[in-house]
Amino acid sequence: MDITAVDRSAISGDTLLHRAAPSSKLVATTLLLAAVVSVNDPLVAAGLTLSLTGAAAAVRLPVRQMLTLALYPAVFALVFAFAAAANVPLGALVVLKAVTAALAVVTLMFSTPYPQVFAPIQRVTPRVVGDALLMTYRSLFILADKFSDLSRAIRLRAGLSKRQPVRAAAATVRAMGGLLLYSLDLSQREYDILYLRGYEGGFRVATRRSADRSADMAALAYSAVLLGVVAAFRWIPGLAGYAWLVTLAGAVDLATGALIGRRRR
Amino acid sequence: MSHIHIPDGVLPWWLWVTGWVATALLLGMASRMATRTGTRRAVPLVGAISALVLVAMSTEIVPIAYHVNLTVIAGALLGPWLGAISAFIVVLVLALVGHGGITVVGLNTLMIATEMALGWALVHGGLRLLGSRRIRPVAAASTIVTLAITTTMLVGIVALAGSGATARHTGALDVETLEFRNPFSGDLINVGLLGGDDHGHDDEHEADAGHDDEHAAEAGHDDEHEEGSALSVSRFAAVVYTLGPIGWILEALVTAGVLGYVVRVRPSLMLRSVNAPPSASARVGDEHGGR
Repeated sequence: MDITAVDRSAISGDTLLHRAAPSSKLVATTLLLAAVVSVNDPLVAAGLTLSLTGAAAAVRLPVRQMLTLALYPAVFALVFAFAAAANVPLGALVVLKAVTAALAVVTLMFSTPYPQVFAPIQRVTPRVVGDALLMTYRSLFILADKFSDLSRAIRLRAGLSKRQPVRAAAATVRAMGGLLLYSLDLSQREYDILYLRGYEGGFRVATRRSADRSADMAALAYSAVLLGVVAAFRWIPGLAGYAWLVTLAGAVDLATGALIGRRRR
Repeated sequence: MSHIHIPDGVLPWWLWVTGWVATALLLGMASRMATRTGTRRAVPLVGAISALVLVAMSTEIVPIAYHVNLTVIAGALLGPWLGAISAFIVVLVLALVGHGGITVVGLNTLMIATEMALGWALVHGGLRLLGSRRIRPVAAASTIVTLAITTTMLVGIVALAGSGATARHTGALDVETLEFRNPFSGDLINVGLLGGDDHGHDDEHEADAGHDDEHAAEAGHDDEHEEGSALSVSRFAAVVYTLGPIGWILEALVTAGVLGYVVRVRPSLMLRSVNAPPSASARVGDEHGGR
């Protein structure tokens, strides 16, 4: 789970989705999540997953990195499905829901900087929660870098190898102890900075506007269509036998998206 | 089993909405308490510790491929109120990178906040009873007890979700009568969309002598379907209580190791609550043994 890779893509990427307004992307993601919550047919869910992957490939988002993150919850969902689902289709539905929801959220995060996603959350949460959220974002990358340095130092000095598992695990634990002390020092430094700057609560994030209205419209229309398809298959039982068409359409989306993405390169 | 790895759309809506409402109330109370402590002190501390937990969760212990949570340590350092804020932040950021559903953020926050509060109470209670020299066994025992309780909470949540009243079904897809229809046969136009009946078998539903029996049989089939597809709580509990203790032990070892290291390097750090109201000159790094 490489959180820094997500941030790199969000900050330095230049795709159609990067040009859309964060608010439009948040609405589009909400519609997609509503689709994931509503979907009750694994074939329709598979269609959603394939179509979303195709859309990400078409706009040239880093699909491999995204899939690595999106497939991570599938492992846990698989355990849950094995433990709790009564039959194979229900198990498949659980896993596909996990992957599709993760893919929708990851698509948002790969194309939108964290502070822009946090800004609307900050408006509805108590001030201290919103500010701590932004402070976590700042501290996260500092600590991730520090831990990487600590691990490298330990690897060079003590040797993090599979041949000495106990020693390697103990070294990693010590690195975490060091990181804990460093994080307390970091919080103290940040406190000093806030004190000097006369902070009394209330960080403000300037919200970004759309750089391309058509990108906003495309994101919203695409997610609305997917939600519409899911709603139709959920509430019109007569469509049940045609769910395979959604999977097929998703596969076509994926192939088309991959081709478009490759051509643009 | 630090947080619920249940995807969006699996738990019934009333359960996750209740989770969000309870979390909103908890955050309201926690932020009020944090403001009393001092926003300027709370914000960087919660930010740094939340970031630490996130880094820990994204790092696997070589070579056992297990990611730790450090929630007990975070709770011991932050206390229950700041811990609740940190729990929400951690869960939200994890959900935004696909690790756990967005709809279950509320329930996950309650789970991790409980872990942090229990961790704080047990670690500090244990240290008061046994002294800081016993930090490793205290930390390990606190972690195991905390994780056992929150795992039971998780099973309770799945039990609520899987009860008869909330049984979910795969809906459109019937496993026993799985079918793939041809949309070009004209069937699609007749069925559902333009006035046909729900199942596309007009003839079957004519008001003949066997009509009532057929519907009774169908209703029975639906009940059976719904019941058969409900979440299996006992199987889930069996799996969780079988795999869970492995995770509890690993987490306990890591927590004991990290807190043991911290007490060795800065012995007084664990003996006072870092979220106590700060004096004008109080510094987190200024404890005895600090720099």
